[in-house]
Amino acid sequence: MPPAIPPAERLLNLVIALVNTTGRMTKEQVRASVAGYGDARSDDAFERMFERDKDTLRELGVPVLTVTHAGHGDDIGYRIDTAHWSLPPIELTAAELGVLALAAQVWQDQSLRADSTRALTKLRAVGTAPEAHDLVAGLAPRVRAGGEAFAPLVDAVQNRQAVRFTYHAATTGEVRERRVEPWRLLARRGGWVLLARDLDRDASRSFRLSRIRGPVRPVGEPGGFAPPTAEELAEAARTWGAAGPEQTALLAVTPGRAGALRARATQAPSDVALPTGAADVLAGRDLLAVPFRVDWELAEEVVGYGDAVVVLDPPQVRDAVVGMLRVAATLDARPAHHEAPHRTDVEEARGA
Amino acid sequence: MPERASDRLVRMLGMIAYLERHEDVPVEQVAAQFGVTPEQVMADVDTLWVTGTPGYLPDDLIDFDASSYEQGVVRLTEGRGVTRPLRLGPREGVALLAALRSLAALRPAMDAERAAVLDSVLAKVQAATGDAAAGVPVDVELQVGAVPAVAAAVGAALSGRRRLRLRYVDASDVVTERDVDPVRLVTQDEHSYLLAWSLAADAERMFRVDRIVDAAVLDEPADEHPVAADADVFQPDPSGELVTVRLAGRARWVAETVPVERTRELADGAFEVELRVVQPAWVRHLLLQVADDVLDVRPPHVAHDVAATARGALAAYAPLLETTAGEC
Repeated sequence: MPPAIPPAERLLNLVIALVNTTGRMTKEQVRASVAGYGDARSDDAFERMFERDKDTLRELGVPVLTVTHAGHGDDIGYRIDTAHWSLPPIELTAAELGVLALAAQVWQDQSLRADSTRALTKLRAVGTAPEAHDLVAGLAPRVRAGGEAFAPLVDAVQNRQAVRFTYHAATTGEVRERRVEPWRLLARRGGWVLLARDLDRDASRSFRLSRIRGPVRPVGEPGGFAPPTAEELAEAARTWGAAGPEQTALLAVTPGRAGALRARATQAPSDVALPTGAADVLAGRDLLAVPFRVDWELAEEVVGYGDAVVVLDPPQVRDAVVGMLRVAATLDARPAHHEAPHRTDVEEARGA
Repeated sequence: MPERASDRLVRMLGMIAYLERHEDVPVEQVAAQFGVTPEQVMADVDTLWVTGTPGYLPDDLIDFDASSYEQGVVRLTEGRGVTRPLRLGPREGVALLAALRSLAALRPAMDAERAAVLDSVLAKVQAATGDAAAGVPVDVELQVGAVPAVAAAVGAALSGRRRLRLRYVDASDVVTERDVDPVRLVTQDEHSYLLAWSLAADAERMFRVDRIVDAAVLDEPADEHPVAADADVFQPDPSGELVTVRLAGRARWVAETVPVERTRELADGAFEVELRVVQPAWVRHLLLQVADDVLDVRPPHVAHDVAATARGALAAYAPLLETTAGEC
């Protein structure tokens, strides 16, 4: 018996056969004539092998067409649509391939990494020279893996198919099933977030992938919902982006402290309006103007400096810091659990 | 792990397309083009040589010039109709495009030439993915988080392999100056880190780039240093004090983003994390942020330290708060 034909060789034979066929090939013709399929030991084994190969080719972008023949009933044949085979006419330089190689390494998720690596392989075929790495030397961008929920959610977003999963809400500790129309996956603040419409609440919600328990299962048909409008997406993503306009905070900083804030500081205008009481705070402190976008992010950064940094303006950042300090000031007077006011915006952004 | 059949198929198709466009390419150059060993290229060529259309007679097969091949040069003479570069699969296009878009965050660490390359390749890949480009389901935001001048200096030192002089603020808000040989800029999650060899410590160190106050590229070239591949992965320092914090469920982000030694689930969604604390200022900052949701802290001196810091800070706010009290 000749040695078994390796799967990659069988797939390549199938591709070449379906590209060169004059009309189409039926399954039986594939089994009888394409090298590699004769290895199948039973009808079932052949059937599984062929179906899997066909799916594999389609995932790889090979346009495998199903061709039925009028007059032949349910007699199905296949061919490859060579008109839709190719990349558009592009050519990539060595430097461009170097950037693509860096991009392909971004994903720590195995399936995304496999997908982007194959894309890179295809684009290397239209590269004029082997990739040059010196342009991207020393850069190591990374995006952490999204866990088991990730791949099925990517597919569901692309297919516009509703899904259900069990979710552990951080706010309440409640664990229950959610049914959602998945819109988009965001990598933010160290984790993955799903933006979706919650079907039971008929409102957009964000879900931390790390809090999805067990499998993600489809509940609807592919194409079962309209994609969100740009406004809906923007609204759902609001707390996750740095999309807000840049603002400037005025801070009173102890000399020699908060070097990281000082490094970002800009020149405070000489005629800047200061709140009442600022003069007392500024005695013995420097006035810093620091650009920022998200109120609570700045508040959480500033609170770490204790009395070395006092927020003068804007009031909402100052109040956020003072709120945190008041709660923290009682930290050694517990265990009676302090019922603090809900900081809703922060919670949402943290993915509660 | 053995290579997947689909990955090998894609490479073999890519090689046919490449060889159709490039005549007489040495095996080594094909290997460099596809990022594999010359042995792998030869194994691929051997496989290609026996594939073709049913019948598999000599005229049915993919063919190479045998005499060139003996000289280690690959010349495709028959491609059996699969010589055009294969388009991207739907998931492939999405994965590469989303990754490429995320690289925009590195722009501050790139000079004009590098940024231009990023732009041009982004445009080309967008064209290659066609319709899929519009509906990419994955959106990644990376942040370098450095002052522009620092990002530029770090990027220039990395690409030019030069030594850097850093002014750095540590977690305790103390500024120090040190010379380092940069190894790589790791952009992940909320913060970016520069992995570098500290000459004073004669060891590798991670620097949070948003705490690099100033960076100057020195004339000296950076030396090579024995840096472990996983040097940029955080390991809790076993010499640190063990601090246990019990938190309400809302503070779940702590367990998800802070390097914790251990997490224990409690009733009602509450949980407990164990932290190894080397820098008291670090845990103080964390507890000030999350005080709302802290149910308990052990040992007690940590809670006391945080509360005392908060009371001191509130005193500093007093002049502002007295005047606004009437407005509320």
